[in-house]
Amino acid sequence: MSAPGRGSALLRSSQRVCTQCARPAPRPRTTPARPHSSLLLPLSARRFYSAEATAATATTLSTPPPPPATPTTSESNTNTAPDAAGYRIKSSLILTRPPLLTRDQTPFESAFYLYQKRFNERLTAPFRRGFYFKPDTAADLDFRIKLRERHGVPAKDIGRYNPRGRLAWNDEVLVGSTTSSPSEVVDKLLADAELRVSEDGEPIAAEERVPVERPMPRRTEADEKGDVRRLDRALDRTLYLVVRRGEGEGAVWEFPTGLVPTEETLHETARRVLTEAAGPNMNTWIVGRVPVAHHVVKPVLAEDGASVVQRGEKVFFLKGRIMAGQADLSGNKYGLTDFKWLTREELQEVLPEKYYHSVRGMMELR
Amino acid sequence: MGKLPSTLLRRPSLAGSCLPTAPSSFSHAPLPSHQPPQCLSSQVRHATFVPRSRRPYQFTQLVQLSDGSTFTMRTTSPLALYKSDKDSRNHVLWQPTNKSLRNVEVDEAGKLAAFRERYGTSWDLDTPAAAKPEEAKQGAAAAAAAAPSGKDGEKEVKAEKGESKKPEAKAAAPAPAEAAAPEDPFDSLVDLISAYATDSKSMQGGLSAKDQAKKDKSGKKK
Repeated sequence: MSAPGRGSALLRSSQRVCTQCARPAPRPRTTPARPHSSLLLPLSARRFYSAEATAATATTLSTPPPPPATPTTSESNTNTAPDAAGYRIKSSLILTRPPLLTRDQTPFESAFYLYQKRFNERLTAPFRRGFYFKPDTAADLDFRIKLRERHGVPAKDIGRYNPRGRLAWNDEVLVGSTTSSPSEVVDKLLADAELRVSEDGEPIAAEERVPVERPMPRRTEADEKGDVRRLDRALDRTLYLVVRRGEGEGAVWEFPTGLVPTEETLHETARRVLTEAAGPNMNTWIVGRVPVAHHVVKPVLAEDGASVVQRGEKVFFLKGRIMAGQADLSGNKYGLTDFKWLTREELQEVLPEKYYHSVRGMMELR
Repeated sequence: MGKLPSTLLRRPSLAGSCLPTAPSSFSHAPLPSHQPPQCLSSQVRHATFVPRSRRPYQFTQLVQLSDGSTFTMRTTSPLALYKSDKDSRNHVLWQPTNKSLRNVEVDEAGKLAAFRERYGTSWDLDTPAAAKPEEAKQGAAAAAAAAPSGKDGEKEVKAEKGESKKPEAKAAAPAPAEAAAPEDPFDSLVDLISAYATDSKSMQGGLSAKDQAKKDKSGKKK
């Protein structure tokens, strides 16, 4: 289903588990109940990035343990009752479709490009027609006709601007002018591309000219119809796959998520869940084995504060790319009823607020 | 490139006409520090004209790739639209899964296939070693069939039957062939290469266009 990563050949030769996937030893928790627990720290001589900074200082400095009240983490302060067993670990895949087109230019950018083109007119050598066209050939006649229509300006996209004339300083685009817009530039180039002179050197009448076929528009049919299930929409944006779990009032939009069993790692679970949820008809690639975001749901406790009514969740998100295919929810095991391919702004409207806030950091910000 | 004007620079204090700058005067009597400069009146030009390098005139051109995607670029070509007919969008190197880009041999009359059937290909000259034992067995069987009445032939047949009954002996039989293979490293290497090449379909000889079309159809049905 997915392409192997760069290090897969190395991994295959030795072991199937990489160092990132190998789980660290459970770190000792510094709880107020066990004040001298940091004495056990030599067990975790290899400190992982996720390990507490306090543990690192204790091991490196080998000082006597600080008084138990001061350096406890906020996590152990807030939820005292639920230990690690109170949370369920989940893995989720954020499947993305990269943008297929470059984004639109901002008005400032297009104005800047026009200014640069006009500035360049003043600095370069003038255009020598005789260097490119043999005199009195059809191509030469064609170019001369078009040059006359552009009032002698050889460039096609800078408007009526003479770099060596009296008004050469007047090179900035005016407010409301469409000269600098990219679509206008393309229109002018396409109009210039159509032949004006036949092979015999006879000018072609306006009604007999063959217009050049226009390139495909930037907005597709799916954009016009507002079809959010198709992958050929919003071509200049990154799309994210979200699925709806449940029906009616209790329906929740989320990324495809599943529980991580003991014998699986996060990326394996994410890959399996995607296949089980959205079908095998997708050519996908999981970008990395390190989660790009995480989301924590606190457990719900009973009145007495001891018994857990609903277990908490820790969801780790991995990033995937789709190369080809389409999601198909028929026969999925997770009770999913619908899917959408959404941009970042549309995700904000659909996802729960805290959930979106957790995954927001991995998305493109423009 | 414009010529740098460093050679033309003159320090006004060292201009010969302004000061008595003979080295001998230094040795005799050092100049008093409060001596006013004497050559303020004569101006010296430090800046020289550096001609700008001549760059050719450039147009904006619309480039359309073979899949229809377009972009603009700056070029010296006065053509407004450039349509590419071969680029990364329809080249098999970048599009390895596109079957229509494969190099399919057009052999409608079957002439090429007939030629190969008659004369073989250069790849048949060094066939892989795996194919040889089978030929040897076939040859032995043919010899046994040719001499049915001879006692030696019967013995051989019996011996073959005996071998076929014992799987251990059969398994042991190809082992010497394998052991004999790596004697000459060049031979084994050539076998390796030729075996690799003959495995690929393109080296076996092309299909005719009809057969290829049939094959494609049957592949689609699956």
